[in-house]
Amino acid sequence: MYRMAPAPARVLCFLIPALIAACGGGSGSSSGGEAPATATVSASTSTTDTTSAPADQPTTQRDAVRLADQASFGPTEALIAEIRSAGAAKWIGQQFDAPASRYTRGGTSAFHQYTGSGNFCDNRDANCWRDWASNQPLLWDFYRNAVGNPDQLRQRVAFALGQILVVSNREVDGTYGLRNYQNALLDGAFGNYREVLKKVVLSPVMGDFLNNANNDKAAPNENFARELLQLFSLGTCLLNADGTPQGGSCRPTYDNQRVRAYAYALTGWTYPAGGATAWGCWPEGTHCRYYEGDMVPAARYHDTQERTLLGGAALPAGHTAPQALEAVLDSLMQHPNIAPFIGRQLIQHLVTANPSPAYVQRVATAFTSGRHLGIGSGQRGDLKATVAAVLLDAEARGETPGATAGRLREPVLLFTGVLRALRGRTDGDALGWWWGEQMRQHVFRAPSVFSYYPPDYPLPRTALLGPGFGIHNAGSALARLNYVNSVVNWGGVAPSASIPDALGTRVDLSGFEADAADPAKLVDRFSLLALGAPLPSAARTAVINATAAFTPSSSGADYLKYRTRTAAYLVFAAPQYHVIR
Amino acid sequence: MSKPNPPLMMQRRRWLQLAGGTLASALGTAGLSGLMLAPRSAYAADYKALVCLFLYGGNDGMNTVVPTDATRHGQYSSVRGALALPRSSLVGLGGTDYGLHPSLSALAGAWSDGALAPVFNVGPLYRPITKAEYRAADASSSLVPDSLFSHSDQQALWEAASTDALTRTGWGGRAAEVLNTTNPVISLGSGGGRFGLSSLNAALGLPDPGQNFGVDGHTAADLGWAPVAARKAALDTLYAQAQDNVMLEAYAQQQREAFATSQRLAPIVQAQPGSAAASALIDQAFAPLIVNGQLSTPLAKQLYQIAKLIANNATVQGNRQIFFASQGGFDTHGNQIAYGNALQGTHAGLLKQLGDACAAFHQAMKNLGMGPQVTLFTQSDFGRTFKPNNSSGTDHAWGNHQIVLGGAVKGGATYGTYPTLALGGPDDVGVDSWELQGRWIPTTSVDQYAATLLRWFGADDGQLGAILPNLGNFSQRTLGFL
Repeated sequence: MYRMAPAPARVLCFLIPALIAACGGGSGSSSGGEAPATATVSASTSTTDTTSAPADQPTTQRDAVRLADQASFGPTEALIAEIRSAGAAKWIGQQFDAPASRYTRGGTSAFHQYTGSGNFCDNRDANCWRDWASNQPLLWDFYRNAVGNPDQLRQRVAFALGQILVVSNREVDGTYGLRNYQNALLDGAFGNYREVLKKVVLSPVMGDFLNNANNDKAAPNENFARELLQLFSLGTCLLNADGTPQGGSCRPTYDNQRVRAYAYALTGWTYPAGGATAWGCWPEGTHCRYYEGDMVPAARYHDTQERTLLGGAALPAGHTAPQALEAVLDSLMQHPNIAPFIGRQLIQHLVTANPSPAYVQRVATAFTSGRHLGIGSGQRGDLKATVAAVLLDAEARGETPGATAGRLREPVLLFTGVLRALRGRTDGDALGWWWGEQMRQHVFRAPSVFSYYPPDYPLPRTALLGPGFGIHNAGSALARLNYVNSVVNWGGVAPSASIPDALGTRVDLSGFEADAADPAKLVDRFSLLALGAPLPSAARTAVINATAAFTPSSSGADYLKYRTRTAAYLVFAAPQYHVIR
Repeated sequence: MSKPNPPLMMQRRRWLQLAGGTLASALGTAGLSGLMLAPRSAYAADYKALVCLFLYGGNDGMNTVVPTDATRHGQYSSVRGALALPRSSLVGLGGTDYGLHPSLSALAGAWSDGALAPVFNVGPLYRPITKAEYRAADASSSLVPDSLFSHSDQQALWEAASTDALTRTGWGGRAAEVLNTTNPVISLGSGGGRFGLSSLNAALGLPDPGQNFGVDGHTAADLGWAPVAARKAALDTLYAQAQDNVMLEAYAQQQREAFATSQRLAPIVQAQPGSAAASALIDQAFAPLIVNGQLSTPLAKQLYQIAKLIANNATVQGNRQIFFASQGGFDTHGNQIAYGNALQGTHAGLLKQLGDACAAFHQAMKNLGMGPQVTLFTQSDFGRTFKPNNSSGTDHAWGNHQIVLGGAVKGGATYGTYPTLALGGPDDVGVDSWELQGRWIPTTSVDQYAATLLRWFGADDGQLGAILPNLGNFSQRTLGFL
């Protein structure tokens, strides 16, 4: 295999028949005879060996920055160099094997073992609520990990999954429980979607968030069952494999009877043992609230009647709660909706808000077949295969995304992107209650199970969807610029004594100052880092002029520092930075 | 049924939109409205404001407005069980057979003013539908609104006054466009979903009192220094360029508008209670909700902002303005009430915040002498099941009761038709044993509700038809509460 510059993969696949197998074409591919559009071609991928690394396939600056924006929390000069020399496929393979981040900070399960007459935080320090009940310790870990840890892709995928399979500290307290939930998403990000879904169904945190803990067969509530179908697996409308609605308009995936059938089937789960309160555990036959471990069956509350699940799957009478759970999960995994419904959202979270139907279909195929370019276990729901399909698709790779490509750089990725690019550090604290709330993306505190914004939010004045625009308005538009200003021009946020291992939130521009004597060079360096390409001509000139306006006579010995700040501010404030393409 | 053709005014707007975003940028801050025909003077120099208050999650209307006559309260109590509010606890709506949840006691004054009215059993409808028609309809029939019982879809249907969940505009946005208001819908809090979207604009989303609303580092004083002025010039250049990517251009255009809007509105937006730019008349009205100089609830902050923007309408510009505020947390599947006490708990807490903030807002409008010029109205995803579940909560339903508030409201009466309180009865969607929860088929549509508000706001029949495409399916266009 010789090294070559990346070329449109379709061209390669037609011109070089020997590579068609590696292109994923041939028998068994549900995309028919057309070679699927992937940008990497490697003869070393075999269909069974998922551990042999693809060969190096150097790529361009622009493509590397695109991949960094898709698969990490933002490009750094070092990461760009890594991706440029390895190429997308090899880098992604390395990311699959990178040591995994975890959440570790915050209180323990003692939070739900308090048997005093008041509240757990009585007679504890002023930070008790923050450290034992709230999402803050997780948020600290999230941002530290996102800015500095090497398993960037795993974290991005877990972050995406966490915006589909939502729990929120707005309605559920207990740091240790939220931590267990988010760790499960990190652990499962490269596993199988069925396993992730099972952990979610059995999570006592989810059991409280959507009221399935202690759900009673005598009159079950419908909350979890409905959102399991609507948000976590299938969606409300029947879909073709390419994500478009069957029949061209919304034909319901399920009706209320089906929701109630699932609600009944999912009754009879209670918290794991270990919790305690001053008044014992109620109702009878259940455990006290406790978030350490999975929910356990509470047979007396489990409805055992026959239920017809989706896809005609039957759940014969006399079942136990665990048997019903397996039947529920099987019915969802087998439903034709799940691959496009989940696949499309992963594309939206990682790459672009308006994927072509063909792109969605290619990703759905990877989800269904469990394999993509030799990556994956071959089991339906394989997330490695799905993620590889998302990132290696022609619509994700290359130099020239189309006029309708792109996604808004959501606030979390703005926060981390600027910090990573500009060699910054954070303990996360300023990015939750302050910046996170201002821009309406406070991690682990989504407003509801519907996450921060809907996947189908319309972008006004266009025919496109713009999910991120659901939390974007005049106030947040200016806040974006003000965040960049805060860290670049105003020194960021100083470390606070009340935060363990405090770092504050700040960037380090000193390594860029060396190029400040040449404003054009400086501006281009920031542009290549942030955008993968220089700014458009008129914009570039204006930014260079603004950078050059700081001279020894205007600003004394610090003029190079001010030039560096100005160039960084303008590049990271540019619209090209905020809409990722 | 096909939608009626939009009137000529809307078609002209669309043409200008297609002509290119650069046209808007060439016009600078005034946007496209300056090019439109002069507004027809059905409304003249007077000022009117509509305030949409969206209760996200699905407010339990059945415990918000409750029958007080012995028979129906008996039926109510027997089905509601532990969730039933005792008759004696209700805030009586004198002259009617209804009372409000006790947590809404702050609104008793508005009722005595004749400024409050409940509107019963409102929901998305394509046209009036009987229970038999509903049950006979195919799952994909256009007669049945899309995805009933789904939060996101029902929010979209209420916000859009539509039965098609893919509608890309909201009725507030369409009203602003058709009525040619100076500003788009102004939204506070977490934003308006689709309500304020029009084909030309997103809603203008503004921050809470005290929050920064401007570009840091570019104050007038800062700009006196040449390097900072050069930096601002570069920023403007970055955003002035037309972009060849659709999303990028839309983003840049929104940013240009944000720059312009912040210059005009920042002082008003930022004013906190007691500050120099605040209004004493508004502060007095909100005094019960001001703690240490700050508004004490999220809804109070939003309504306080709206009150300021109404008081300062000369700076905000325009004599017709639609606002959007919201309150979340209403999805009470479990623990809707406190253990053993229906008067306390989650729903009670939400309604207390609602009632107190709305009462303060109403008082502020009275203090400003603008009571009859401002109408506040609620919307919500859907009502909740009449019959509770075993988690001390309720599940998703359909028709719901709303509240309208303002000096122009023909209060002291109720509107719409209260459902028959029978599980599986004529108003309940269900007949099967598994579906006897009391989910009411609406007897009044969102379109009729919105038309009543918009007619008062100044829309004529043609404009109503353009804003509310399904309105023609209902023989009674307006409901009489304004």
